[in-house]
Amino acid sequence: MKGRAAVVTGMGAVTPLGLDVATTWRRLLAGESGVSFIREFPTDALRSDVAARVEGFESERLLSRKETEIYGRVTQLTLAAATEAMSMAGFGGLFRADVPGATATALAPPVDRTRFGCLMSTGQGSVDIFEQQIEKSRERGPRAVSPFFIPGVMPNSGTALVSMRYGLMGPSYNLASACATGTHAIATGALMIEAGLADLMIVGSAEAATRLNTVAGFGNARALARSRDGDPTKASRPFDADRQGFVMGEGAGALVLEARDHAEARGAEILAEVCGYGMSSDGAHLTRPHEDGRGILLACRQALERAGLGPERIGYVNPHATSTVAGDAAEIRALRALFGDGLASVPMSATKSMLGHLLGGAGAVEAITVVCTLRDGVAHPSINVDTLDPELGPIDVVVGAPRPLRARYALKISAGFGGHNCALVLGDGRA
Amino acid sequence: MTDKHDLLPMFKTVAARVDKRSFDDVTRASVITDLGVDSLSMMQIVGEMETELSIQIPDEDLVEIVTVGDLCSRVERRLV
Repeated sequence: MKGRAAVVTGMGAVTPLGLDVATTWRRLLAGESGVSFIREFPTDALRSDVAARVEGFESERLLSRKETEIYGRVTQLTLAAATEAMSMAGFGGLFRADVPGATATALAPPVDRTRFGCLMSTGQGSVDIFEQQIEKSRERGPRAVSPFFIPGVMPNSGTALVSMRYGLMGPSYNLASACATGTHAIATGALMIEAGLADLMIVGSAEAATRLNTVAGFGNARALARSRDGDPTKASRPFDADRQGFVMGEGAGALVLEARDHAEARGAEILAEVCGYGMSSDGAHLTRPHEDGRGILLACRQALERAGLGPERIGYVNPHATSTVAGDAAEIRALRALFGDGLASVPMSATKSMLGHLLGGAGAVEAITVVCTLRDGVAHPSINVDTLDPELGPIDVVVGAPRPLRARYALKISAGFGGHNCALVLGDGRA
Repeated sequence: MTDKHDLLPMFKTVAARVDKRSFDDVTRASVITDLGVDSLSMMQIVGEMETELSIQIPDEDLVEIVTVGDLCSRVERRLV
């Protein structure tokens, strides 16, 4: 039995295609790639030479110099995305800058902070801080390790920082399900609002873990793609017959979820509704998806059931679509079981073809693109689908140009290492 | 080299490095809680001073410290 409906009233994103939602969305519609060659470290001995990096990010706007040292890049990206989302939702005035000279941008709105929670999550946490402090200990001994090491490296540092910045006192923690983290955060936030634990939840996820040893780890698991024909932008190619793996990316996405009655009472603009969600596990293998996609199918069916909708009401799908050989195939099998022959006429786009795989950050950023799709009535194209993999059977991947569509409801799917699956049914927000 | 009888200059240097801002105006009479230094930052400052001076400052030396001068005196005592 569903309780209060959770709607979206704010969004923020920091991605390889832009430092906000509008820029990211515009460049996705234009079919641009955020993937480039890795230049931060040598890739000769690695199995991948490409990554999708956030360019031009400046943390000084939001953090003091000391805080910039304490918090890893993932935490800084988290705060930036959350700040955009909070401002869009009308809560910019709650911002409590510790930065000298900075002031709140607007009057703080009346809001019960004890009913405002935060689930800004990450899959891997601050890998950079971990490496840096271990190195420091090796060079200068354990006494040189910073007292900020633990609070800086803990995966919940991002959700803590956002809660502190806005004085939020509702439920707050980090949840981690690898590449499904962001989607789980949205589902769990909606669940909390429905259950009456909070009126408002800022939810989402981030990752910034593109380091020598993480690229080595994913690469040695044979999960990563390389540049092709000297072109890094061709590496990520979900649903293409020649796909070889994913491209590591970094970025953050944040959504302000709010009880519909609460949003209506304060006159907030409703961007979308989280109509349903499903969470499941493959319960089978640490990294390999179940071949027939049964875990994904289970999550999708739960999401539709909770939304009270049949699959025929779904007008757009944003699949996990990592560009791995096994992952894309399993997911399409799940979708075929869900939609039957109707799958051939459900438009879908693979956001990772341009953004790369933001890992823990992927689910939130991709859910934001779904909200943009419902709002603007247009789906972004997928790039690099030169030859649609015939083994996937008939599917409708949007290619070449953005596709106008009229969809009231869309399905977003994520699946993570560990066999964790999460599906969302998002609606256009009309009651 | 640091004058081992007056640790104030060292405190200012280390605090500035740890907290990424100037501590030029600090005197021995400055009240630590007025400096806006986070408690963990304070532990970091003490830790850096320990390393630079090759001493160990036990926890009991850090209780009931109010001013920068209090801290300096405790550390100076360990140097004798």
